[in-house]
Amino acid sequence: MPRLTDVRKVLILGSGPIVIGQACEFDYSGTQACKALMKEGLDVILVNSNPATIMTDPELATRVYIEPLTVPFVEKILEKERPDAVIPTLGGQTALNLALQLDEQGILKRLGVRLLGADPKVIRAAEDRETFRDILDQVGAKYPKSEMVRTYQQAMDVAVRIGFPLILRPNYTLGGGGGGVAYTLEEYERMIARGLKESPTSEVLVEESILGWKEFELEVIRDKTGTFVIVCSIENLDPCGVHTGDSITVAPQQTLTDRQYQEMRDEAKKIIEAVGLATGGANIQFATHPTTGERVVIEMNPRVSRSSALASKATGFPIAKIAALLAVGYELEEIRNDITKSTPSCYEPALDYVVTKIPRFAFEKFPGSQDLLTTQMKSVGEVMGIGRTFKESLHKALSSLENKVEGFAPVVFSERLLAHPNSQRIFHLAQAFREGMTLEQIHEITQITPWFLEQIQTLISFETDLEEATSLDADLLLKAKRLGFSDAAIARHCKMTAAEVRKLRHQLGMRPGFSQVDTCAGEFKSETPYYYSSYWTRPQPALKSTKSKVAVLGSGPNRIGQGIEFDYSCVRGVKRFQAEGRAVAMINSNPETVSTDYDTSDELYFEPLTEEHVLEILDRLQPEGFVSQLGGQTPINLAAKLVGAGHKLLGSSLESIDLAEDRGRFTAVCQELQFKIPASGMAASFTEANEIAGRIGYPVICRPSYVLGGRRMEVVENEDELASYFERHGSFISTSEPCLMDQFLEGALEVDVDLVRGVDWMVIGGIVEHIEAAGVHSGDSMGVLPPQRLKKAICEKIEDLAKRLAVRLDTIGHLNLQLAVKNDQVYMLEANPRSSRSVPFVSKATRIPLIDLGVQAVLGRKSIEVQPSRYQWDATDDVSVKGVVFPFKKFPESDSILGPEMKSTGESMGRGIDYAEALLKASIASHINIPPTGEVFLSLRDLDKDSLLPLARSLVGMGYRLSATSGTARFLFNEGIDCVPVKKVHEGRPNCVDRIRSGQVALVINTTSGRRAVEASFDIRRSCIDFSIPCITESHAAEALLTALKKHRSREFSVLAQEKMI
Amino acid sequence: MSRPMNASPMRGYLVLESGELYAGSFRGGESRAGEVVFNTSHSGYEEIATDPSYYNQIMVMTAPMQGNYGIDRSFWESRRIWIDGFISVEMQESVRDSSWRCQLGEAGVPMLSDLDTREIVLRLRDLGTPWGAIVKAATESEAKEKAAALIKAKKTGEPDWVWAVSRRQVEVRNGAVANGPRIAVMDFGAKENILRELCSRASEVAVFPSRATADEVRAWNPDGIMLSNGPGDPEAVVGATETVRALLGWKPIFGICMGHQILSRALGAKTFKLKFGHRGGNHPVKDQLLGKIYVTSQNHGYAVDDKTLPSDVRVTHTNLNDGTVEGVECSSKLCFSVQYHPESHPGPHEAVQLFDYFIERLRK
Repeated sequence: MPRLTDVRKVLILGSGPIVIGQACEFDYSGTQACKALMKEGLDVILVNSNPATIMTDPELATRVYIEPLTVPFVEKILEKERPDAVIPTLGGQTALNLALQLDEQGILKRLGVRLLGADPKVIRAAEDRETFRDILDQVGAKYPKSEMVRTYQQAMDVAVRIGFPLILRPNYTLGGGGGGVAYTLEEYERMIARGLKESPTSEVLVEESILGWKEFELEVIRDKTGTFVIVCSIENLDPCGVHTGDSITVAPQQTLTDRQYQEMRDEAKKIIEAVGLATGGANIQFATHPTTGERVVIEMNPRVSRSSALASKATGFPIAKIAALLAVGYELEEIRNDITKSTPSCYEPALDYVVTKIPRFAFEKFPGSQDLLTTQMKSVGEVMGIGRTFKESLHKALSSLENKVEGFAPVVFSERLLAHPNSQRIFHLAQAFREGMTLEQIHEITQITPWFLEQIQTLISFETDLEEATSLDADLLLKAKRLGFSDAAIARHCKMTAAEVRKLRHQLGMRPGFSQVDTCAGEFKSETPYYYSSYWTRPQPALKSTKSKVAVLGSGPNRIGQGIEFDYSCVRGVKRFQAEGRAVAMINSNPETVSTDYDTSDELYFEPLTEEHVLEILDRLQPEGFVSQLGGQTPINLAAKLVGAGHKLLGSSLESIDLAEDRGRFTAVCQELQFKIPASGMAASFTEANEIAGRIGYPVICRPSYVLGGRRMEVVENEDELASYFERHGSFISTSEPCLMDQFLEGALEVDVDLVRGVDWMVIGGIVEHIEAAGVHSGDSMGVLPPQRLKKAICEKIEDLAKRLAVRLDTIGHLNLQLAVKNDQVYMLEANPRSSRSVPFVSKATRIPLIDLGVQAVLGRKSIEVQPSRYQWDATDDVSVKGVVFPFKKFPESDSILGPEMKSTGESMGRGIDYAEALLKASIASHINIPPTGEVFLSLRDLDKDSLLPLARSLVGMGYRLSATSGTARFLFNEGIDCVPVKKVHEGRPNCVDRIRSGQVALVINTTSGRRAVEASFDIRRSCIDFSIPCITESHAAEALLTALKKHRSREFSVLAQEKMI
Repeated sequence: MSRPMNASPMRGYLVLESGELYAGSFRGGESRAGEVVFNTSHSGYEEIATDPSYYNQIMVMTAPMQGNYGIDRSFWESRRIWIDGFISVEMQESVRDSSWRCQLGEAGVPMLSDLDTREIVLRLRDLGTPWGAIVKAATESEAKEKAAALIKAKKTGEPDWVWAVSRRQVEVRNGAVANGPRIAVMDFGAKENILRELCSRASEVAVFPSRATADEVRAWNPDGIMLSNGPGDPEAVVGATETVRALLGWKPIFGICMGHQILSRALGAKTFKLKFGHRGGNHPVKDQLLGKIYVTSQNHGYAVDDKTLPSDVRVTHTNLNDGTVEGVECSSKLCFSVQYHPESHPGPHEAVQLFDYFIERLRK
């Protein structure tokens, strides 16, 4: 049956800013769906507040709204657009929850809009754990013993009944938010309190522990006629107890017998039917007992998910695209398999390779946080490695992590780190074998299925073969390569360098072959050029193309500081290269992304972004050149090595990159151009640092060389703190990698500038004014375009400096600059010769297609072709604000104060007719609960007291109650402002934290400086995070929030569709 | 540290009659020849090896890692292992568990690993299913020589493969349903699970040799007749087509795989050899009897030519990958059959309802 005739216009809900547990996989699924439905001739309306996505490019849908994903905004869009249907299954938990709210509030009914893909009954059946358990009972499926808890007292009774350890799962939270494993009563009491608070329905499922069971996941898809297929089975290497998003996982499953697997398949089918999922994708997680084979159901998601993105990349089966087509009425039989182009989609992919996913973590970004994995997801990204065997794929996945040491890096073995799941466990597992532990011992400690342990044991045992070999001959080398050892890893065990291993390998003619991901294990011919490398495969020449080829290097796993923004750049870049007549090969290792959709580029190479793997691809392709300025710092770091091997870098030369990146050379360039720069120095030791600080004066910013996202970057206020800095980070500082020290421009205004330079032209993409003052990492500060506080003359000055610098550096393509303005003086801080985190936001705010311009620049297009004068960034009428989202909730021990080290995972965008509206939207989109009334608690450092006085008055004028710590309260009394004085934490109880935790406070403004004061106020910020109370830690941000509060009261806002790019 | 056994295995080759040669590690068993086919099932190696339909065949598994979950005698689909070779990228072989490799080795089945199976699969896909041999040899020329001899000997063997695997004596089993029907099974190489599925629905099941006559079957007076799966070319099966033709219309008949082909031939249709067959657990079939589309377990090298079907026979099941016939029905003669395996083992279970469909027809 063809598609529904009464659905002509659909609205797709996106997933909003990137948070832990909900990342760019939903850009992938939403983009696929938009493309498929647009191709069907439907009108597609997209709503998403995340500007860093491909799906929010205006070309992707009929109309795109970058607006908050909350009921009032979506209601307004529905009223304006009057679509026939809403598809809520492609935007993660955010979209599903929003759809439920729209339904509950009668909005869908009032506007005559249907939900496609999953109706409210299905969403509730799968998401509401008690309903779900009734369904499991109906179909005879088992589940761990558990009880739903709604009160603290009830929770205590349940604990007695079930017994420890207990697993906590708050209802309706994403990524298992607020959940975890409690081993003791003490832990349990604390976790229950948080879980009840975090669940929107104040419900927590307390569950019997199935720690140590084997965990599996099935990705399924069903159409309205009941045709049902398993797209992919996934087996977790980590046994139950670790969130599946944090587990190392393998596809397809490896250790189930056919009977066990088919029974699981049958059960999945029954559950899907009983839940009532009519069409679309879903995943179901199972656990099986390692010896009895007993099976229980853990959970089900009636929507596309992170695992479905992984499954799509692992198999070539485009789940989201097919789910979208099914939602509008198609049947699986009617949808052709994209890859074979000859068979239908109602089949189950067969894999003749193995896929391994490894999560990437960011614990080091959150000092104090415990590197301990539980049922609450904490990873910020993931990589996927494809190989013919598990061993090859595991090794490739490890290479994809882009760690300093490739493969199984040696570690100082710790049995504790082997026993308790953590981000480094895989390395300790390998080390355990090196240290002589037996497989049985390791199994006893880790409960990991012996089959997996054997695979790793084989790899570690082979290290000894390499070490003991008298020479590295062809047989041994091929064996090593087939086991997935990288040249660098082989070199480590053979006392050679990676370059020597490569040279030897090439002399022996040993090159990887490239196999296709074809969905069918070779059974049908497939033309889709989606490749992975393997040393099991005989090398074949690359596809001939009449077009000139360009290779685009992606950005690898998402991490804090390098995320979806760079995937946006890559994908848009690929499209533009194609429009310019090039055949594009995309290289990336991140399964969540749009760039690794086989539909994005002409050829997709799912490979680690390491020198070895990228070189093999380039050698095979012999492209016109490669592009490293779109994928963030990863490809920039590779550029020199690839050029050294004879490949051509498109865009800015190595020399330009070096001039911008090398601090010393960059400083010299700025001095030569007579730019103001903060005074600076480089120190290899504390003594040197102390001298430099004496010269430039405190406060100073310290950071080690070569950092991404401001790792280990801190503002240091005095000598004590400097000493502490060296104590903590001294191991990263040496003569060859000195500590960089810059004068800190206290209170300065920072800006980001993105520009593109061609051979004879330049376009300024925009100036983003940071809302927080200098000192907060640019990725963590809110930003506004056009600037609201900078004078026009200063903006012109900034543009002038930017242009002069681009010319001097001789960049071709993208250049991102960070500058600071203090007392009308403009300081040049930093230059990045690549596309930046701010590019998508700037493009969407100004409608200037910066990425397209970058490609044109790189290809040598002249001014006459590009017509740069068409692009005026300040010609926009409306105002755009970039909001930021932080993961502090997931790291219960860490501080939420902002500083020079980046900590945010995602961003939102608010577009409005004025600054206030844009601010309000950006705040709401960043999940800040804007309190309409209530108590505002103030704790201000002396420096801010005067400047925030008007803010305090305004708050009182708006009817908010004020409370404050003693010093701040005294100051306010003296100024005639009434407020409740509250004790600081060390002053006894009840204190301010008690007040926050008891729910009396609606908003906190807490500014501090100095390490000691920051530590003293930690509990204030932490309690705000735990109880989802907005906490502003910087004075400019506080003023901005006041503007948003006022706007919020007016209850007037517009919704704006994105206009097409210029 | 303790290190897993990694005794350097012997060199071995897969040699195809058409001349191609693939080198790998010889993992055990004796050099043997067979028809070289590939199977895309992800799991179920033990069920596959003991399925009589794979008689005389060398199995190339597309799933690269085999033997991962050990062995279990209860998975056996017949009394012995039938395949004549087993090829995969890797074979599970550790101190803890190398049971699968050992079991095949003890049965004399040659195993080849450490080679790119995909290269072989693409060859089979593009050029069809050839004869070949897995041989233990030190050099390529030795391998070719050995293989040629083995292939020659194998090709001159018994052409009726069904007779080679079929029971020689009638075997009667008790069913689980006391008042259920009595079912006669023609054993063309029946998988255990067909018999299990029947026994769980019948009062008594009698399994007849493939060359049993219609009179012998009639004499047992069954309520229905099951034609089982089996290996090889249906045209080469002696006697069965005639027997089935003689039984048409007398009692309801249900055919599976070889049984489907024999039934179709008895009804007057022709069969032909597919280029590389269907072997795996992921083939979509449109089933007009049950009114649904589902994924099936498949294993066949021949198919029924739909253009040769008589007018009173309708195609009820179609393979959605290549449009070939997956099942037929002739209501006037009380029979229906499917090309794939509703008894699964290995593979998905959704077609198992066809057994119920058959039983219901017996009651009418």
